[in-house]
Order: sequence, then C-alpha cells, then structure tokens
Amino acid sequence: MRSTDTLHRHATKRRWPLAVTLAAWPLALLTLSSAYAQMPQDRAASHPHLEAHQQHLGGAPAGRASSEQVGAGTLMNPLISVIFDGVYANEFSGHIDDPGGFEMGHDHGDNGHDHGFEDGFQLRETEFAFEATVDPYFDAFAMLVIEGTDTIDLEEAYFTTRALPWGLQIKGGRFLSNIGYINPFHPHDWDFVDRPLVSEHLFGDHGLQDTGIQVNWLAPTLTYLKFGVEALQGDDDGMLTKYGHSAGPNLMTAFAKWGPDLGFDHAAQLGLSAGYGTIWEDEERHSTDMELWEDGHSWFAGLDAVYKYTPPRSYQGAGQLTLQGEWFYREISADYIVYSHTERDDGSWRFGEGRGDPDNINSAVTWQQDGMYLQAVYGIAPRWRAGLRAEALGLLKNQSHNHRTAGPNCYDEFDTSYRYSAVVTHYPSEFSFVRGQLSYSDFAADEPGGPREDAWQFLVQYNLSLGVHGAHTF
Amino acid sequence: MMMLYRTASVALLAAAVTIAPAAFADPIRVAASTSNMAMLTQEIGGEHVDVTTMAPPDRDAHYLEARPSMMAALRRAELLVSVGAELEEGWIPAALRGANNPAVMPGRSGYFEAAAQVELIGKTHHADRGRGDVHPMGNPHVYLDPMRMAEVGHALAHRLSEFRPQHRETFRANAQAFADAVEERMPKWQERVADAPGVLLFHENIDYLMERLDVPIHGFLEPLPGVPPTGRHLRSLVRDLQGERGVTIFADFEPSRGAEFIKRELGWEYFSLPTHVPIGGTAEDYFEVIDALVEAAASG
Repeated sequence: MRSTDTLHRHATKRRWPLAVTLAAWPLALLTLSSAYAQMPQDRAASHPHLEAHQQHLGGAPAGRASSEQVGAGTLMNPLISVIFDGVYANEFSGHIDDPGGFEMGHDHGDNGHDHGFEDGFQLRETEFAFEATVDPYFDAFAMLVIEGTDTIDLEEAYFTTRALPWGLQIKGGRFLSNIGYINPFHPHDWDFVDRPLVSEHLFGDHGLQDTGIQVNWLAPTLTYLKFGVEALQGDDDGMLTKYGHSAGPNLMTAFAKWGPDLGFDHAAQLGLSAGYGTIWEDEERHSTDMELWEDGHSWFAGLDAVYKYTPPRSYQGAGQLTLQGEWFYREISADYIVYSHTERDDGSWRFGEGRGDPDNINSAVTWQQDGMYLQAVYGIAPRWRAGLRAEALGLLKNQSHNHRTAGPNCYDEFDTSYRYSAVVTHYPSEFSFVRGQLSYSDFAADEPGGPREDAWQFLVQYNLSLGVHGAHTF
Repeated sequence: MMMLYRTASVALLAAAVTIAPAAFADPIRVAASTSNMAMLTQEIGGEHVDVTTMAPPDRDAHYLEARPSMMAALRRAELLVSVGAELEEGWIPAALRGANNPAVMPGRSGYFEAAAQVELIGKTHHADRGRGDVHPMGNPHVYLDPMRMAEVGHALAHRLSEFRPQHRETFRANAQAFADAVEERMPKWQERVADAPGVLLFHENIDYLMERLDVPIHGFLEPLPGVPPTGRHLRSLVRDLQGERGVTIFADFEPSRGAEFIKRELGWEYFSLPTHVPIGGTAEDYFEVIDALVEAAASG
C-alpha cells in the first residue's frame, strides 16, 4: 500500500513538466478567446451596408448609428509615407571627434557607418513607412530607411496587438525600444537635427533598436500609468558587445511611465527604465599582447521627463513650451584577461600559452558611464519653434575600456564631454520643416590626460513628409 | 457569537443594498473628443453617462497632440464620441494606439464619429496637399450646424441604447428634446440673418452654420485650409470685396491679424467668438454659442 502510494507520488512528480505544458495551452486559449470576446459583435459595426439598408427601409431619422470611420483613401491598403531628410553641415571651427571614453567602432570589426555629418550636402536618410491594420487582431508597421544613397536599413518591422483584453498590448518584431523618451522617435520627430549624445553613445546610432518582443500594460487608473517589459535578442552594439555565437535573448528591459493629469494647459510624463544585457565581450590587440574582456554583462538605468505647456488659444504652436530631459547610467562587468603573444617567423601571431600572466587576470571588474541632456523648445510664433539643448557625457562617471593606457585597471577614467546646441525650425505646413542648428562641442580627449577638443558646427536640415503618416504619441 | 454573525450579515446585506443600485445605475463611461461632443453626450445620456472631455474648448482640435491623460481616459472608456472625418487625426489615432482598449477602436460599437452620422459639406475629389489641409471626405466641423447636431443626437441615442438598453426610452426622449429645441430656434435664427449681407470666415468651420442659414460666404482668410493668412491673399480679398458690406467671423483660437487688416481696408467689423461650449456645458450653452455667431452675422 505504502509503496504504491510512493510510486504514485513519484509518477505525479515526474509528470510535472507535462502538466505545466498542458496547463499552458488552456491559458493561451483563454487569452485568445477573451480577445475574441472583445471583437465586434454588433451587426451595425461589422456590417455597415446592413445598417444602411435598414436605414433606407426604416427611413427614420434615428437610424442605426454607424461605427464607420470617415477617412481619406482606402483603409484596406497600408498607409504609405516617404520622408525626405537632407542636411547641410559646416564645421567652421575645430574638429568633432568621438567624445573621450565613447569611442565608436574602435576595433569592433564593424567598419562603422558613422552618423557624424560630413561638411557639405548629404541625404541623411530617406524613410519609407508602411502602416496598416492586418486583421482584427494585429496592427503592423514597417520602416525602411535608405541612409545616404546606398545603405538600406530595416529600421522597424513590428506588429502590435489590437484586441488583447485587460489593457494589455504585445509588440513583436524589430522595433525601437520604449526605454527613455526619445528612443522610439524617428529622426523626423526630433526637435534638433541630431540625436542626443547619450542616446547615440550608450545605445547606438539608431538608439536601442533590436529584435524581440514587448508586453505593455496600461493601468485602468485615472492618471496615465504604463508598464512594459521587453525581451530582445541583443543585436544592439551599443549596449552589448559580443563575439562568437550565443543564444538569445540577451537583453531584457523594463520601463514605467506616469503621466499626471495637469489639465488642458499642462502635460507631463515621467519615465523610469532599466535593462540587463547578459553578454558582454570585447578584445583589443596590441603589438605585444592582446586584452580580452570576457564573460561580461551590463546593465543600465535611466530617468526621463517631459513637460509641455500649451497656452489657451494657442495658434499653430505659438507660445507652446516643451521641456525634456533624460539621464542614463550604464555599468559593465567583465573578466579581464591579457594574452601575451610573439610573432612567428612567418609573420603570424603565436598567442601565449594558457591565460597569460596570472597577475593580469582580474576577474569581475566593473566600470561605469553616464550621460544626460536637457532641452527646451518654445513656439516663438505660429509655425516657428526655437530651442536650446545642453548635453553631458560621462558626467558622474566616465570609465571606458577602450583606448586604455597601461595601468592597474582594465579601464581608464576620462573627462566629461559637453555639447550645447541652439535650433530654429520653421514649419511651412504640418508636413514639412526647415531647420537651422548651431552646436558647440567641448569634448574630452580620447586619451586620458590628453587635450580637450572643441568645435563649432552649423547645420541646415529640411524634412518633408509625403503621403499619409500616422500621428505620433506623446 | 450568534449576535456577531447577525450583525455581520446585516452589515453585509446593507452593503449589498447600497452597492447594488450603484452597480445597476453604473453610468456609461464616455471619452468625448471636444466639449461640444461632451455636451451632446451629456444631453442625450443624462445621468446614465459619465463623460470626460479630452480637448479644451479654446484650442483648435486640429492641432492637438496625443497626451497621456487622453490615453488614460480612452483606456477606461466604453465609448469614444468624436467629431470625426479626420478633424482629430493628429491625436485620436495615436491616443488609441497607446490606450490598449480594443472596445473603442474604429469599427467597434465603442467608436462613434459625429461626421459618420450625417452628410458632410465640402467633399472634394481632388486631394493633394498642395491644396492645404484638405479633407477629401468632407468638412469635419459638423458641430456648428445645430440641425446636423440634432441628427447626430438621434444616432448617439441609438448607440447609447446598445450599451444600456434599459434606458433606451430616456435616450430617445432626450435626443428628441434636443432636436425640438433646435427646431424651435431655427426660425428665429433664420429670421435674424435674413438680410445679412454675408460673412468672411477664417477657416472652413463656421460655414456649416452659415450654409444652414443661407448666409452668403464671401471667402476665407486662410488662402488654403490650415495655411495662415498671407498678405497677398488678404489683398486679393480686399480687391474682390471692395464696396461690399459684411463682417468677419472667426473662432476665438484663431488669430485676429487678418481680420484687423480687413477692417482697416474695408471697414468690416470682426468677431472673435467661441465655437465650443465650456467644459461641462449644456444645450443652453451650445445655443448661446450659435446665438452669438448668428448675431455677429446679422450685424453686418
């Protein structure tokens, strides 16, 4: 009797994973069916022709109300828009290099396309956006970007759910992460010509852009409160550097946004975001040895805030004020290893045996960097906006493993870099703008203790939207 | 012990009695785009609706942007009541995307556009942006025609009945009362402007009322819809209207500079008037908005 009992229990125990699998299916079905339950069931909404027919027969003024959307174009086709973005740049004093401690593409093997502006005319990017409702369950969006004239980049290609219950939404595919404030915005939505330094140097030329899935939930509260988590593959070089092959997802992020109700004249949103990257590796080859940073991981956390003031009776943007700021902090931890190597007679490299000198193995070293910007943009007249932006990179910490000089650490301490910009934008219509920007950069040296570099740059930008482009979120 | 149980059950019963009617009376949560749409919803829905207004009355609903507060309102709403026909194109679709509420998406019973319930004026088959901010499906500003608003009211009564069938008769009666109030005032308004020489408007919005009352429209200060008045356009208006009589009328959020120029050149009086009721406004407030526009047109 006793032994049977034990056997039975044992069998139950063994079946646990199966039971979990079986339980998962009804749960998934439940989610789907409740999504279905939210589908249009009223006949008028799903069959407008039926309603028109009834109205015709009845002839009463109180005909069955239509749920149809009155809009231009046929809603069956994707909304298509093409956005032209051209820049004229002139660096009229000094030279802009990478800010110290934030070397991009150094020895990373991806002979970088650099988003710095060349002097003269350039097509920065031409965006092709497609947007449509796929079916009752999904909306989809794709944006192809041609950078310059020959590089095509799939900036985004994602779906969002439109029928999930309980305030849930899932986004999947390749998308710009919703961390921070400016990250999900495309260049045509920026108030300045260029991306803030902190976004470019902590997350990459395109911000945090990756492939994966996002789940977000909007709380049923009186004030706006949204939470989201993302599981991303970790292709983003800014946040994760890796060699070899490793199974994803390698980057998890989470964000929360809170928008208090401040009446019609004021609006604000505060955000918190964080992320954890499971893989971080890098190497740097020198003439006598090779440095390796292995088995690393990284995390970041950030704060973002935006405040907008719209005066009563504001006409086409006049008198509107937008204040916006973000701060991000990043920490990388890795094992630091040095291989010694000598050159063979045939010119190839022979690496030192084992893991070099044990004295040079420094396990689990961590180093940190941060960056922030603050900007204010004001509607100086209808369809005219002027703004100021102040930025700092490596404000509290600027430790980097790149370009290190010999020393006991596997990283070096760099100075803080600053940039200040002033901008004026004119919007002839909602679909075009012309912009002038003046920037002064005061960058830390790319070698610790080296001379700082400063530069003045003048930028002119035009941006045109052709076709139907969806409205933008706050 | 027994006593305690009894007290507890009495308390529970009392709670149930208090809560149950509240649950039964549960008003329909409506997110209205503008104060005029909120007014109409409140008039038709009475105590059975709980209306949140997303856009302030003193700003152009065309140029708003989606805000967190709008998304919060849409998240909790059972019904979205908008003007429609792309008037709120700049913010409602974006706010809907961020609201995670399938019940109020276009095509669902929780989505209601006033413009979808009535015939629109100003339909055009030529839709390119070179013609300004055009609405190929028609002029969206239906809320400035009281007759059309009455028609929208009937449709809205029908829609509200789908949510709370038990109040069908109330909604129907309220819609009829609003329509009757409009009918009663129509002859008065028509009479007031019977000899009006005509109006110059800023944007294609007040033309809904002027067309309804057969007031001649001499033109618009905007050279193209959504494009601010230019000197060249204003001068051409002055040339065309030399020697004529009339007034200039525009919404309180539209700038007065163009109208001032017209006044200097032609001597036409101008009126900057509200086109929306205040937040929480009633049908009376709406009729006052119309009265003021009618008076302005009549003063020419």
